[in-house]
Amino acid sequence: MTGMCYGVNIGGETETATPVEPSSESARRRRMEIHQFRFVASDVAVAPPPATIENGRKRQKLEVLPSSSSSPPRISGKEIQNSEADEIKLNCRVKKRKVEEVATTSLSLVCDNAAEESDVHHRCGYLSSSSGVLPELVAEPPPKFGMTSVCGRRRDMEDAVAIHPSFCKEETHETPTSLHFFGVYDGHGCSHVAKKCKDRMHEIVKDEVEKGEVSWKDVMTKSFNRMDKEVTDWSSAVDGVSSSSCRCELRTPQCDAVGSTAVVAVVTPDKIIISNCGDSRAVLCRNGTAIPLSVDHKPDRPDELARIQEAGGRVIYWDGPRVLGVLAMSRAIGDNYLKPYVIPEPEVTVTDRTSEDECLIIATDGLWDVVSNDTACSVARMCLQSRKPPSPPRSPGNELTLGEAGESSDKACSDASILLTKLALARHSADNVSVVVIDLRKGPMGG
Amino acid sequence: MSDQDPANCCFRNWMNLQEEDLSELLQALNLDADHDKSGTNDDQLNQLTLKAIEHFEDYIKKRAHLGRESATTFFAPRWCTMLECSMMWIAGCRPSIYIRLLYALIGEEFENRIEEYIQGIQTGTLGDISTVQMNLINNLHIKTIREEDKMSMKLASLQEDMADDPISIIAKKSRTCHNEPPSAEIRKALDEHEKSMWNVMRDADELRLNTLKELLSILTPVQGVNFLAASKKLHLCLHGWTRERELQQHASMRPPPSDN
Repeated sequence: MTGMCYGVNIGGETETATPVEPSSESARRRRMEIHQFRFVASDVAVAPPPATIENGRKRQKLEVLPSSSSSPPRISGKEIQNSEADEIKLNCRVKKRKVEEVATTSLSLVCDNAAEESDVHHRCGYLSSSSGVLPELVAEPPPKFGMTSVCGRRRDMEDAVAIHPSFCKEETHETPTSLHFFGVYDGHGCSHVAKKCKDRMHEIVKDEVEKGEVSWKDVMTKSFNRMDKEVTDWSSAVDGVSSSSCRCELRTPQCDAVGSTAVVAVVTPDKIIISNCGDSRAVLCRNGTAIPLSVDHKPDRPDELARIQEAGGRVIYWDGPRVLGVLAMSRAIGDNYLKPYVIPEPEVTVTDRTSEDECLIIATDGLWDVVSNDTACSVARMCLQSRKPPSPPRSPGNELTLGEAGESSDKACSDASILLTKLALARHSADNVSVVVIDLRKGPMGG
Repeated sequence: MSDQDPANCCFRNWMNLQEEDLSELLQALNLDADHDKSGTNDDQLNQLTLKAIEHFEDYIKKRAHLGRESATTFFAPRWCTMLECSMMWIAGCRPSIYIRLLYALIGEEFENRIEEYIQGIQTGTLGDISTVQMNLINNLHIKTIREEDKMSMKLASLQEDMADDPISIIAKKSRTCHNEPPSAEIRKALDEHEKSMWNVMRDADELRLNTLKELLSILTPVQGVNFLAASKKLHLCLHGWTRERELQQHASMRPPPSDN
């Protein structure tokens, strides 16, 4: 039943929560995107994903939202022409693509170099782009990924991305399976909370997984709470000690007004676990359809608004809805001064992987503010499908061959992430843009 | 403003040189578009890029030389339009606007040819910036902003110095504010202050040059020439537009001829 909720696609709909500026450029684009989606939905068979939502509140939300977006947007004659032209273009592509779909297989490639390289990138502060494939002991091919993270039109970089393939093993099965970690964090106030999340979140999640918690919701909720506590303890401990290179120099009270979104994807051979806190977003691209696996925590989301008010807080409209007129999201890691209205508790979704899954896109609002779920999904899948998977290396012992093959095996994901980043720049995104694209297609051998 | 003013001449020459460079750059781009294979023209494009950088380097050297006498000429240039003056950062443009311009150019071209890029067709132009290039551009961007911020701090200090000892104290002690030639003491203080401004200007010019150089080293020859052509067009057009605009504004603000 939750699958059905997803089936109505809350994709662009999270966007309807934001006030529509009539006749503005962005409004026009948004309308065009709604149009594009309609064609996708009618042209491609939509399989409702068997997603499990572990939060009753969200279910409520999902039922409420679509109605708010169901009224068709008014479009002027010129705009209709534009959007129709776009639809036609996309339409041709998709048909062509269906023929090519046979050719899309993913290969199990082992590439230590690429993995190490990406890891190093992640540690050195403002990383921008990297890609890699990690070695895997089990038969399941590791997911291929690509990522781009740029400062864009802002003068400060507050996004952070952490990617840790095979970050821990799950011992619940007869043979241990590898879990893969992807985290995207969008800081506000300063960058240090996002950076801290990037450095620590995967370690905390690993620790919680190894404790053998029963449900993913518990694992992730505990992890997010621990992360939040670490950030709070850490910033109060180093108060006054100028060990930080960041803008706020960790001085209270400025430091109390710093936080970060967190959207974490744990990918297992058969599941995708998304935990979200804030307004970054994870979107699954399944058989051409965009399925959001997280719902943005905006202060005017009816359930979030109720929760904030129940806790004694207020949502004030000051350049959009904001908690106490300050923060434009209702959940975050950090933001000590806005507790208990702003909470670090994540919403967790567990989705079974299917053979129709194409890719997972995780990005900050630098992308989602200007690109709809459906457009992002179309761009990423077209990109992945147009790049042929490389042939397997002839001599598996040869490191050089492996390295090269590893890089090229991931070029498609990298290309997809940079395409989305360029699209965000083209559409005048004013924020940092961070995009991770994970290839979920399974090869014939991969199961 | 006299045409004999060496600083003004220096600027005029620079603008004329940019016009010449621009037509050469555009011509080369047209040629490149005619070539069947991109890349065959790379040597010529590289030469043009080097030449443009050299011209910029020469201009900066002349500014440094002339600014030794009077740095303020370059901080409040009489040859720039009011809008250009208003948008100035340490006697010129902000180095980070090169990256901003590049993003605008990438965006414009990307949106126009999105289908090709999704297909993986390589156009070789600015919309085709690779992941590796984007990474390098982003690092350059962050580095440049950091340098800019450091220099902005220096400039802020200089601005505050005006109100500090000795200038403010000499003013306080001065008997009259009008019709008095500056004393040797105040001349010395102002000269020293202008010398500090000159130093900041040279640092800023160097950052402008180095940012441009590094950016061009990240771009392919044809991307570089496209970028240079766009940046020169922007500079020349803005100067022309705002001059015309301000002339019109000035004309409309002039009081009507009196009847007497």
